[in-house]
Amino acid sequence: MRRIAFLLFAAVSLLSVAGGETRPRYGGTLRVMMQARLDSLELSTNGTPGDYWDAARVQSMIADTLVSIDIAGRPQPGLALAWQSDTNGRRWSFTIRRGVKFHDGSVASAAVIAQIMGERHADWTVRGTGDALTIESESSLASLLAELALPRNAIVKKNSGGSPIGTGPFRVADFQPGKTLKLIANEDSWAGRPFVDAVEIELGRSLREQDIALALGKADLVEASPQPPALNNSSQRVRTSLPVELMALVFPANSKAQDLRVREALALVIDRKPIQSVLLKGAGEPTASILPNWMTGYSVAFPTQANLQRAKVVLADSRQPTLTLGYDPRDPQAQLISERIALNAREAGITLQVSLSGVADVNLVRIALPSADPATSLREAARALGLQQPLIQGNSLDDLYSAERGLLDLHTTIPLIHLPVASAAGGRVHNWQPGRAGDWNVSEVRLEADSR
Amino acid sequence: MSFRKKLLLIFALTVLFCVVVISASVWSTMRRSFDRANDDRANAVAAQFRSEFQRRGDEVVRKVEAAAASESVQRIALEINHGASDSGGYVGEARNLAVQQHLDFVELVDHQGTILSSAQWQAKFGYPEPAIPSAIGSAGAFLKREELSTGSTLGLFAVRAAGVGEEPLYVIGGERLDQGFLSTLDIPAGTRVLLYQNLDANWNPKALLDLNGPASGAEKIAPLVEQVRRSGQESQSVIHWSDDSADTESFHAIPLNGPNQQVLGVLLVGSSRRPLIELQRQVISAALLVGGVGILVAVMASLWFAARITRPVVSLAEAARRVAAGDLYAQVDVASNDELGELASAFNHMTEDLRQQKERTLQAERVAAWRELARRLAHELKNPLFPLQVTVENLIRAKEKAPELFEEVFREGTATLLDEVNNLKTIIGRFSEFSRMPQPQRKPTQLNDVAHSVLRVFQAQLQEKSQIKVRTELDPELPQISADAELLHRALSNLVLNAIDALPQGGEITVGTKTAGDEVELFVSDTGSGLTQEECSRLFTPYYTTKQHGTGLGLAIVQSVVSDHGGKISVESTKEKGTTFRIELPRDAR
Repeated sequence: MRRIAFLLFAAVSLLSVAGGETRPRYGGTLRVMMQARLDSLELSTNGTPGDYWDAARVQSMIADTLVSIDIAGRPQPGLALAWQSDTNGRRWSFTIRRGVKFHDGSVASAAVIAQIMGERHADWTVRGTGDALTIESESSLASLLAELALPRNAIVKKNSGGSPIGTGPFRVADFQPGKTLKLIANEDSWAGRPFVDAVEIELGRSLREQDIALALGKADLVEASPQPPALNNSSQRVRTSLPVELMALVFPANSKAQDLRVREALALVIDRKPIQSVLLKGAGEPTASILPNWMTGYSVAFPTQANLQRAKVVLADSRQPTLTLGYDPRDPQAQLISERIALNAREAGITLQVSLSGVADVNLVRIALPSADPATSLREAARALGLQQPLIQGNSLDDLYSAERGLLDLHTTIPLIHLPVASAAGGRVHNWQPGRAGDWNVSEVRLEADSR
Repeated sequence: MSFRKKLLLIFALTVLFCVVVISASVWSTMRRSFDRANDDRANAVAAQFRSEFQRRGDEVVRKVEAAAASESVQRIALEINHGASDSGGYVGEARNLAVQQHLDFVELVDHQGTILSSAQWQAKFGYPEPAIPSAIGSAGAFLKREELSTGSTLGLFAVRAAGVGEEPLYVIGGERLDQGFLSTLDIPAGTRVLLYQNLDANWNPKALLDLNGPASGAEKIAPLVEQVRRSGQESQSVIHWSDDSADTESFHAIPLNGPNQQVLGVLLVGSSRRPLIELQRQVISAALLVGGVGILVAVMASLWFAARITRPVVSLAEAARRVAAGDLYAQVDVASNDELGELASAFNHMTEDLRQQKERTLQAERVAAWRELARRLAHELKNPLFPLQVTVENLIRAKEKAPELFEEVFREGTATLLDEVNNLKTIIGRFSEFSRMPQPQRKPTQLNDVAHSVLRVFQAQLQEKSQIKVRTELDPELPQISADAELLHRALSNLVLNAIDALPQGGEITVGTKTAGDEVELFVSDTGSGLTQEECSRLFTPYYTTKQHGTGLGLAIVQSVVSDHGGKISVESTKEKGTTFRIELPRDAR
């Protein structure tokens, strides 16, 4: 018996030693660095995609959405546990999760949520009673769930100081605009308390600074260049998302390139592959479509091969003005890519002068594709690119294709590359499982005990 | 122009000519020297440029060789030889090499001539490098046009291969050939260097660089650059920058050729011509000063020389004028033994001969006059004397032979005697009157009145000779003159009388007056038989007459009256058509 007791004790001891690395451990402060120099904790539509992702990540730590969309485009419960709509998609009913509280202790009731959503969407009629929330609109809201899953529709209110108060796993402890943000664990989070006690975010740090800080152990979670793993530091864990950004050329309405043939020729003459393989060091995918292939599966229908001869034929009789090509100077690769595009264009006789001054005739832009739902991403992309909203007639892939083709027919936007976003975590970080769409899932992260 | 002035002018022109010739000679020599100095400076700068070009070229070659031998290039070459397909990792290598080697341009090019990495245009990877085929064999540096994202530029390049494996990796490196290159040259004072980067098909003013970038006033240099671009040969030109003639610059243009002898640049060495022009101005000023002083000295000297040389000539001329005026006693001093002295001596001799000859002539004329007077007197007196002699002889004969008739003969004889004595008295009176011609007593006189008065005197006589018609052409606007009306009356009367005598068979007499400038004219014409040329020339000689019973004093008296009034008389006669006497008198008394 004593022998059995000893064996049991020994087994329990061994298990406790062996499981020391894997057992969930609470506590510690997760040190995060971001490029974005956030001046507020609200989502901005003016920043770079990097700014967007950073703001969305911060938002996801503070607040929850009613639903979320998984990588397959399927809706998943959030603050709403269930939902249903009428046949034409104009009236939606949600069942709100009970017992959820904001960081200030107030209950996130259907009525409060309805008030928050109603203030954001004047064209909706939002009502909340008990745990039932209804959203009505005069037009069909076929993609309402994907829309509600966007970070901008997170359920968040503000305190008297303007700080966001959400229902997320962390609440704002201190915010120095543009410099630092400190979040502490929400003990009453409906999804359970996060493992780390706090998250300290340093804002406005370049990728190089983040990389160095990670290498020196001064940061736990940083952004990284979306280059193939072989070119990254093998000691770091780099996670690359699916392509969730689009790099494209956009002609503004007042561009001198009013001739469709000039725009079409430019679209034909750009050799995307060297841009992707050399300048972007193999990151991303050359594309001629707005939506990435992983969302739609049809992007091969938009050929990406350069066709110089065809471009010259298209340009044969057209007047070729000298165009200026602008780019975002905050994007480290944009200048080189712009020069490469100008070089390609010159082969067809199109003069593109890369310039940062004045209003450009064509701009190299980078936008985020914020949703795994293709229709929602297409709408968001059209908004970001300054295009008309796509006319998506139905829910089929053909309808989506037709809508996207319709957006690109005038060549006012020339898609170039679909890019992923990448993040890297230090050795202290455990159970880090970032989403394929670029989200970080910080609430699941555990930190190794500090040996210092 | 006087001989002295001519002499003065010749002296001045000679001095001026000498000054101009000397100044032009000095200027020409100086300009040649200046141009030679300019050429020397331009050649020196060009030589310096070539030397610097060579030095920088060697430097570029050395740097490119170092780049080709660098570890990174060797590694890339090795990877390429091992079949590395992804050249994406090399994009930044050229820029790193450029920084390491302090080169403006670096490109890594594979054996097929494809750019793997470009420092100057990073986006250019994957494009062919057109210079590779021709540049591979060149040991030294060469000029090359380089395309950049911002445009084209000119560079001094070298190419070297990284010697790893069978597939060479070429490193093309270079430095800009622009104003920075020019600033390394040691430019002499007054000289500047411009560089035209011949990168465009047409003239581009922005491609003309000086030490500070695009050069100003490029358009004026354009023709010279164009000429060099077309010909590929060195050329020179002078550029006028403004209206100021000193603001000019002479340019020496030297073509800079690429490997295929195409003109890729033009080096322009400019030398300011201001020193030359200012020197020219100084020379001109000095020449003007020297010329002015020289001319002044020449004038003074020539005045002195001319006075010295022309004094005998002037004396001679003065003496000649006196001789011409009738002073045959004029003599000049013979002060030298030269030609002028001989001329003066000859002149004196001549005047002496003339004087003696005139005295002899006067004496002969006087004798002739006396003879003529004697002949005339004899002739005039002989006519009345003969009746006197006959009458006295008749009286004597009648007293002796027919006393009874004596009384009658005496009466007739005394009557004849008295007539002839009166005739003698008349003759003597005329001679006396001619000898006692009074001086004119001038008063305001209207010649028309004188003419009317004379015609009234002859009115009765002319009425008797009805075959003579009188016509007047008197100028009603004729001004008064200062004259003796009585003497003019006498003169005009003689002319009218002569006209009447010239018309024994009748005819027409015209008496007229007219104004001729400062003179008035009085004329008497007849339509008689006219006079011969000889008669006309002798008409006014005293005692010369063409009439049977004239004394020959009438026209002499007329000429005397006219002469005393400061006028002149002339005669025009045509045989068988008539004769006209014209008296021209000054308006004012002289």
